Amino acid sequence: MSVQQQGLLATLAREFVKLPGIGQKTAHRLAFHIMKARSEDALRLADAIRDVKAHVTFCVQCRNIAEHELCEICQDPKRDRTKVLVVEEPSTLHAIERSRGFHGLYHVLSGALSPLDGVGPTEIRAHELEQRVKEGGITEVIVATNPTIEGEATAIYLTNVLKPHGVHVSRIAYGIPVGMDIEYADDITLTKSIEGRREL
Amino acid sequence: MPLWKTEAITLHSRRWGEADRIVTLYTLKLGKVRGVARGARRMNSQFGAGLEPFGHVEVTFFEKGQDALVRISQVDVRESFLRLRESLAQMSAAARLVNIVSALSADRDAGTRIFSTLLNGLQSLQDKCDPVLTSMIVQIQILGHTGFRPQTDHCASCNNPYALQAARFCAVSGGLLCRHCEGQSHGQSLPMSPGSVAFIQQARRLPFPAATRLKAVGQIRREVEAAIEAYIMEVIGRQLPAMDFLAAESHPPSYGVANDQRPFPPHPMENNIEVSG
Repeated sequence: MSVQQQGLLATLAREFVKLPGIGQKTAHRLAFHIMKARSEDALRLADAIRDVKAHVTFCVQCRNIAEHELCEICQDPKRDRTKVLVVEEPSTLHAIERSRGFHGLYHVLSGALSPLDGVGPTEIRAHELEQRVKEGGITEVIVATNPTIEGEATAIYLTNVLKPHGVHVSRIAYGIPVGMDIEYADDITLTKSIEGRREL
Repeated sequence: MPLWKTEAITLHSRRWGEADRIVTLYTLKLGKVRGVARGARRMNSQFGAGLEPFGHVEVTFFEKGQDALVRISQVDVRESFLRLRESLAQMSAAARLVNIVSALSADRDAGTRIFSTLLNGLQSLQDKCDPVLTSMIVQIQILGHTGFRPQTDHCASCNNPYALQAARFCAVSGGLLCRHCEGQSHGQSLPMSPGSVAFIQQARRLPFPAATRLKAVGQIRREVEAAIEAYIMEVIGRQLPAMDFLAAESHPPSYGVANDQRPFPPHPMENNIEVSG
């Protein structure tokens, strides 16, 4: 597939290439698709992109993606306001929401501490979380940062900062993915899942 | 498309694309190697936790054409150093060790002694040895193994071996300066007591297990730590992430300035920060 390097179609393909996971071939395929699509479909896509940029922002309380000052979760009166689940990025929040396994509020750190790269607490939204806890009403903070060096460092730091305020701080469990054969699990996951066993 | 199977220590592991990782390994056979681990971030990844930083692994990879990045195909964990993740102090010290090896070693330049020193250092940290002391010893030994040994036997400027009483350490010159040459260092040198000089010399000469029995407290610890920090910054041309990264912003580096009056604030790790998981 070849596309002339100049012109409107090439410009569109170059814009698609900037998206994550999109290479040259896919970009050209998408550009051709847009060209062949009905006008109203293509313009709807353009409008959706414009609306996202114009109206989507971050929740002032939890830093989730929001269309108003507060996100839908923070506005929802049915949510358990005594529990806050801490994640690194909004994408993790949406994965947990998809699971429907948590009914409390969230706090997005927008990053994680990194001893390897020297990322300190002032570069993530840890202070804002401490402020939320200080304001009262929260009894448990569940740290759901990734099980990486960065995520672990963040979890330890948050534990040290939040526990003096009298809240219960817990960490999500490590373990064997559902449906997986235990014999294929790696040593670290196995060790952690045995350490984190629960009584039946 | 040569296939390699070798022991390695994971220095860094960064997200790449949708679900991949770019991993920097220090391998026993090839030295520092960078590679792509496809799908490493997926839940059902065959790599599991095998590519987490600090891990001692047996890795299989192949080279693809002229690409500088190798393709990692299999990882078996020998020692995950899992306990390092339970303490911020141990984690920070381990991060310093892998950062120093990553910064000082050249790509594909194998160094058995670098590998074993790093491995011993990580093991010591996991065994709850003093993180600051362990990192100082490992850094001094790695500097020696990579050809950047700080000069402590004679003056780094005039080569005079007999005039080092009450010497000062100059990072720019690469070692100790005698009293005569110190005057020409334009205030860029750090104080260095005879005890600190002896510590650096012993840490360099002794094999690692014996070196870990060295003690450095108070003034000696502060002097050696400041000198090594300034020297490493001079060698690699940039500041490595601070070991006290939690307080990095409130303690900006002050090395390389006139240092007679340097307050030498106590390192937070000296207070033996104990962090519960």
